[in-house]
Amino acid sequence: KQSKAYAKFAGAPLKVHKITNPWRSPTGILPALKTREEGSFSQPSKIIIQLRKQKYNADYDLSAKECADTLAFVSLLEEKLLPALIYTHWVDAKNYVDVTRRWYAENIPFPLNFLLPNRIHGRQLERLRLVRGDPTLEPGEQLEKELYHDALECMTLLSQRLGSQKFFFGDSPSSLDAYVFGHLAPLLKIKLPNGKLQQHLNSLDNLRQFCTNILVLYFPSESREAPAKKVSNHADGGDFDNEPHKRRNQILSVLFAVGAMLGYAFLSGIITIKHTPARLEEPHVDEEEEEED
Amino acid sequence: DSLLGEVLVVELNTAEPWPENATLYQPLREDQILLSDCASSLAVQAYLRMCGLPVRVCCRANAEYMSPSGKVPFIHVGNQVVSELGPIVQFTKAKGHSLSDGLDDVQRAEMKAYMELVNNMLLTAELYIQWCDDTTSSEITRPRYSSPYSWPLNHILAYQKQWEVRRKMNAIGWAGKTLEQVYEDVSQCCQALSQRLGTQPYFFNKQPTELDALVFGHLFTILTTRLTSDELSEKIKSYSNLLSFCRRIEQTYFEESIGKLPLGVIV
Repeated sequence: KQSKAYAKFAGAPLKVHKITNPWRSPTGILPALKTREEGSFSQPSKIIIQLRKQKYNADYDLSAKECADTLAFVSLLEEKLLPALIYTHWVDAKNYVDVTRRWYAENIPFPLNFLLPNRIHGRQLERLRLVRGDPTLEPGEQLEKELYHDALECMTLLSQRLGSQKFFFGDSPSSLDAYVFGHLAPLLKIKLPNGKLQQHLNSLDNLRQFCTNILVLYFPSESREAPAKKVSNHADGGDFDNEPHKRRNQILSVLFAVGAMLGYAFLSGIITIKHTPARLEEPHVDEEEEEED
Repeated sequence: DSLLGEVLVVELNTAEPWPENATLYQPLREDQILLSDCASSLAVQAYLRMCGLPVRVCCRANAEYMSPSGKVPFIHVGNQVVSELGPIVQFTKAKGHSLSDGLDDVQRAEMKAYMELVNNMLLTAELYIQWCDDTTSSEITRPRYSSPYSWPLNHILAYQKQWEVRRKMNAIGWAGKTLEQVYEDVSQCCQALSQRLGTQPYFFNKQPTELDALVFGHLFTILTTRLTSDELSEKIKSYSNLLSFCRRIEQTYFEESIGKLPLGVIV
């Protein structure tokens, strides 16, 4: 079972890069995410734990304390940043109508493009209400103020923790970097009319640099490099030829891709819907789905 | 405008020193209080003791309804009412008392992150075990929660609360978990805390901070509360540095009132 999972995992990086340029074709994301979801984790932080358990550990260079820090900062992101991101993409009236819903209208086939966005919009608002413990919550200035206050503080804390380092734990990336990137990158890339979160992120130089860095290294913009070449080229400080590093780089490239896509997909609420719009999948993904693990 | 209002409020707060009659409200200790509320209350009490701020503990059956945010504990200081550890820490800071002033930026970021870890994993796990595990819920939680009320109000309130909590668990993706998975999450969380604490006396070496208070509140309560199984406290006991951490704080800050600690020995 372990080797089968590993094979799938090792095969996965290639598929991931082939299918998606995340910012362009999120429908291509669904298949890859679905296979991840079979392990029934719907939260990115659980994925990190799961990956570690299966010994696919991009973090084995980290000390025990740094591993613990990873878990802590992932919690921080989930509690303080994620609600605001959900709000800004799905609940904030202007953003939702002008950007998110329009994207859906243009990119998802009829009739889902009419049904899906509104449904996700409703669900996300409901979710925010439940998480905040206030059933009468309405989108508006007060809620926005509270959520954004937490999110801005969270981003500032991340910036302080990052300091002048290239990645959170030194010179090589780890799963925490993938996770933070996955959450922050959509903010940088997607232009929103109500862009308070973006503004704050842009004002934090080291965080913005951090995201751009990863974007350049792991998602060279429109290039269609051969996936295999891409995977082995990712090393950033470390031997490429060394077996453990090569595998680690593969893992990292997957993590970054997964992190970015998950961040985006999570925001789009795709993950939270039980019956994913299966009709949207590309045909070649079916073989991935078949393999039950 | 609103920022100015906040500044004014802060200034008003700092004007008054901490009064002698500050009071902390929580549900009834013997029969009513639940694991999660007990942990939160103990965390606040520990924090205030670490700051050297005196507070009286008052048990009220309707504490949850008295609280401005619906969560316990809350403190009544002068003419202010503040609930939950986060806001209480802010409040005491405005009055000039803080445990984390000595931390640098990186440490403060780490402290906040670890506090979120406790909230995200430990507190949620406690809520799950209390309300989503059918055995615990029917044998312990619902009877305790509804104990001050007579029929039919007791049933209505208990089930309503259970429904609320279960919906929330659903929203954050915990509804599909099994009890085993939740115990595993607690283990992961404790492992992270244990690794971070290492051999230090407190999380940021010599002086305790609000993080120490929060961790103590949860761990000590879990260790001293009897649930339907011992598995939860066994998870914590496997980390000896966490055990000695709890003992240290208990002895340093609660030494005169060990008998009065909210030891919810639930059968």
